[in-house]
Amino acid sequence: MTTATTVRAAARVVDAVKVYGRGDTEVRALDGVSVDFPAGRFTAIMGPSGSGKSTLMHCAAGLDTLTSGTAHIGGTELGALDDRRLTLLRRDRVGFVFQAFNLIPTLTVAENITLPLDLAGGGRDQEWLDALIDVVGLRDRLHHRPSELSGGQQQRVAVARAFAGRPDVVFADEPTGNLDSRAGGEVLGLLGRAVRQTSRTVVMVTHDPVAAAHADEVVFLADGRLVDRMEAPTADRVLDRMKAFEVPA
Amino acid sequence: MNAAVRLSASSLRAHKRRFAGTFLAVFLGVAFLAGTLVMGDTLRAGFDTMFGRAAAGTDAVVRSADAITTPGESQGTRQPVPATLADTIEKVPGVAAAEPDIEGAGQLVGKNGKAIGGKGPPTLAGNWIADPELNPYRLAEGRAPRSSGEVVINRGTAAKGHLKIGDTTTLRTPDPVRVTVVGLATFAGQDGMAQVTFTGMTRADAEKYLTARPGEAASIKVRATPGTGQRDLVARLTSVLPKGVEAITGQESAQENTDMVSSQFLTLFTTFLLVFSGIALLVATFSIHNTFAIVVAQRTRENALLRALGASRRQITATTLIEATAVAVTASAAGLAGGIGMAAGLQALFPAIGFPFPDGDLVIKTPSLAVPLAVGITVCLASALLPALRAGRIAPLAALRETAVDASGASRTRALTGTAMAALATAATLYGVLASPSLPLAGLGAVLALAAFIVLGPVAATKVVRLLGAPVDRLRGVTGSLARRNALRSPKRTAATAGALMIGVAVVSLFTVFAASLKATMDQTVSRSFAGDVAVSTPSFGAGGSGLSPRLASAIQQLPQVDTAVGLGRGVAKVDGEGRALTVTDPLALERTFDLGRIDGSLAGLGTDGIAITRTEATRRHLTPGDTTRLTFTDGRRKTFTVRAVYGRSELAGDYVITRAAWAPHRTQDSDTLVAVTFGPGVSTKAGKAAVEKVAARYGDPAVQTREEYAQSSAGGIDMMLTLVYALLALAVLIALLGIANTLTLAIHERTRELGLLRAVGQTRSQLRAMVRWESVLVAAFGTAGGLGLGAFLGWVLVKASDGASDSGFAFALPPTRLLIVALVGLTAGALAGLRPARRAARLDVLRAIATQ
Repeated sequence: MTTATTVRAAARVVDAVKVYGRGDTEVRALDGVSVDFPAGRFTAIMGPSGSGKSTLMHCAAGLDTLTSGTAHIGGTELGALDDRRLTLLRRDRVGFVFQAFNLIPTLTVAENITLPLDLAGGGRDQEWLDALIDVVGLRDRLHHRPSELSGGQQQRVAVARAFAGRPDVVFADEPTGNLDSRAGGEVLGLLGRAVRQTSRTVVMVTHDPVAAAHADEVVFLADGRLVDRMEAPTADRVLDRMKAFEVPA
Repeated sequence: MNAAVRLSASSLRAHKRRFAGTFLAVFLGVAFLAGTLVMGDTLRAGFDTMFGRAAAGTDAVVRSADAITTPGESQGTRQPVPATLADTIEKVPGVAAAEPDIEGAGQLVGKNGKAIGGKGPPTLAGNWIADPELNPYRLAEGRAPRSSGEVVINRGTAAKGHLKIGDTTTLRTPDPVRVTVVGLATFAGQDGMAQVTFTGMTRADAEKYLTARPGEAASIKVRATPGTGQRDLVARLTSVLPKGVEAITGQESAQENTDMVSSQFLTLFTTFLLVFSGIALLVATFSIHNTFAIVVAQRTRENALLRALGASRRQITATTLIEATAVAVTASAAGLAGGIGMAAGLQALFPAIGFPFPDGDLVIKTPSLAVPLAVGITVCLASALLPALRAGRIAPLAALRETAVDASGASRTRALTGTAMAALATAATLYGVLASPSLPLAGLGAVLALAAFIVLGPVAATKVVRLLGAPVDRLRGVTGSLARRNALRSPKRTAATAGALMIGVAVVSLFTVFAASLKATMDQTVSRSFAGDVAVSTPSFGAGGSGLSPRLASAIQQLPQVDTAVGLGRGVAKVDGEGRALTVTDPLALERTFDLGRIDGSLAGLGTDGIAITRTEATRRHLTPGDTTRLTFTDGRRKTFTVRAVYGRSELAGDYVITRAAWAPHRTQDSDTLVAVTFGPGVSTKAGKAAVEKVAARYGDPAVQTREEYAQSSAGGIDMMLTLVYALLALAVLIALLGIANTLTLAIHERTRELGLLRAVGQTRSQLRAMVRWESVLVAAFGTAGGLGLGAFLGWVLVKASDGASDSGFAFALPPTRLLIVALVGLTAGALAGLRPARRAARLDVLRAIATQ
């Protein structure tokens, strides 16, 4: 809550608990997490496998619902929304970049980028889109199909799509997980530039310290709890912090 | 357990849903087939029992040996035998009793003034035979007719007409006869011989009203003394019978009746139904093939992995085939049960809706079980064979590749082959239809056209769906655009899915077009050749009704409003050895009320030895006015007639015309089929019709119709037939829709991740549902469009081929409203087929969908 008063939070969760299964098979994926993702910043969520980092992202983004606690996008409490309103919120105020299979194979690059806008059926800011296409460097590929692009190019299209509607926040789930380091670096650079040059907000889940180093801040999760935060991370510092998880405290 | 079997079993267990569509397709097809066959068996057995009972006490039937059969008729007309022959027969040793059997048409009028029956089954009248063994009817109440005007009627007829003992009513023979009901009879313990109506009169009355000359009987029924066998009896009788009269055993007589019904009605009925179950199964083939093709495509990785692990091609192919067999056997077996249930249901239903079927137990013969079972299994296995072979050919390396949807289909070879076939089909059809009319050639063209449509399907799918989808795109934005592209994803799959519907719609359109053409033809026939103002006819078909009183025409002629009233009677004779129907009428009046086309010679003065013939028959027989031809009548007498006139149009007037005077010596029970009336100058149709109706009311109240009404009512039967055809085709269309739904469900399974992504980036559930529904509509639209095109073309071929095959002109008509309705039904059905898959797709959990492999 301390940061929320100084910087407006683009997204936040308060006392987030997520329980899967019940009885013997009960798993507490999130166990009372409260975290703000400040607007205009690039935040990375890190943690070992099973730490609940993906669950946190899914709940914060309105893809999944919390067992208890609240999740907010801007000033909107997600728990109060039905499926339709959640969908509209995702469409209008949230952007997504997934690890793989980000694009609709039947649509062209241009159509994939404007998909959320087209689904909304409203007008579009052509100037913004043009700038975005130039930033991701895909102007000559606009009429290609996803299958004609390399993996890195596909992820860049996904990034462009995520920002097309000028969302409050873009959630990226291991966006470089399937890419080689060069292509991955390009995608991360894009995300970073989007935040710094156009004041967008990005929340990225990753297990790669190099990727996390592109962020302004890293939050660490372990066993469903927020265990640490790190400002201005570097790959080495993140790696060191991560190593600490491997030794049981 | 064998590895292949184990794999198939686990696959079937895991993907029950995938095979639900296949199961249903096979089930419905087999059920229809089995139901038809079982019903055929049951009906045949029912008629068998019925005629067996009718002849139970009769050991021999004596009748004329020779029957005259005209084309399109299965039971010939026999010359009557003298009733006195019964006395001769009774003296033969071994004969216990012999009774003349007089038989004719007689329709009773019910309490409400409406005629009873006449819609298919015969309305019979005859003499009440005193000997209880020879009479298949038993008195249940009242007494036998003793004096003129007294009748016994069967109990079913009495119930239908609300008649009781003591009631007086009219019997149309077709001359109205006042009769009083004195007794009610049963047939073998039941209320009647199926739906046949029967009126038993005194022998004198029967002779008077049902035969042309007193002392005649249709046949003589003979009962043997105990200890005399039927064959023995026939042998004894044969020795005393005059020339031209024969004796057959009671069993043979029953068999003849059964065969007659079988050939005339049952065979037609079952063949008709079999054709439609064939269509349903053909449509099912598409659905089944498609399901297996998709399942194999989806399992590429799995199968490749198995290959990499050392499974042989044969094992992979066998796995798929075993799956197909399991589905085939269970679905066919279930279909058999369903078919038997259907037959039982129909059997219970038919009497309730007044269908003329005898009752009895359900009869199931081995072939009726074996054939549908074999057909169901064969259809299923044959449909799965290609996909199974394809599964076996999957390279082990495919396991490592990203699975791609099968996008082949629009290949160049296919386009070329299809186009060549289409060209060949068109050429064959056009040649067969136009150049030298040949039905086989036109038929070959039609089959080739169907094949070309199927081969070209994937090629056309791309273009047609793009075209049909354009408005959807504009209307529904990105949802429509996604739907259209999904439909275009695998042209081969889209074509195969739509192909099933295409065949269904094609057959529907074919019948629609053909029926419209038939109606147009009838309309044209009536307006072209009927020159009268009103037509009087009885609205009956089949063997029922009793026709028009021959005195009606002369009664109408007496009216001051009427210029000419002419009755058309029907007679039969052998013309130069061939059985032919004769029109018995007043030829001069005929000329005034019908347009007979160009007439060579004159219809005046045909007298008792003149005949008029249509040009087609005259040309065939090389006859010109002045030539002679020999007619043999049912009484066995021969007479030479001189051709006095050759006329052009025969649609309503028939091919041979003789005068009433010429027919009189040979006549049987007289009735007219049609009375054509023209009014005098200045008489309005309305006034004239009212006057005619007044007279007609005294003669059994037949329908009096203006030219337009007459044309319309002639076409009425076609509409009824068409409705039946639509009902039967509904099954094929249903199977096609199941196919569409199934393909969609499988496609959605395939696109789980994509759907999850769409939902994640903001596609609402209703948008997703709309997307799936529109895809379904587009596939259906493609099938419907193809079906309409193919159906209209085949309809045209059929009409033109019929035109070439018959001498009367055959008009071609495209009914726009009806075809539009067919198109709309196709599209709506598509939307309906998409409902369930759309609902299921919308229920997908976003996160789980994204996480799916």
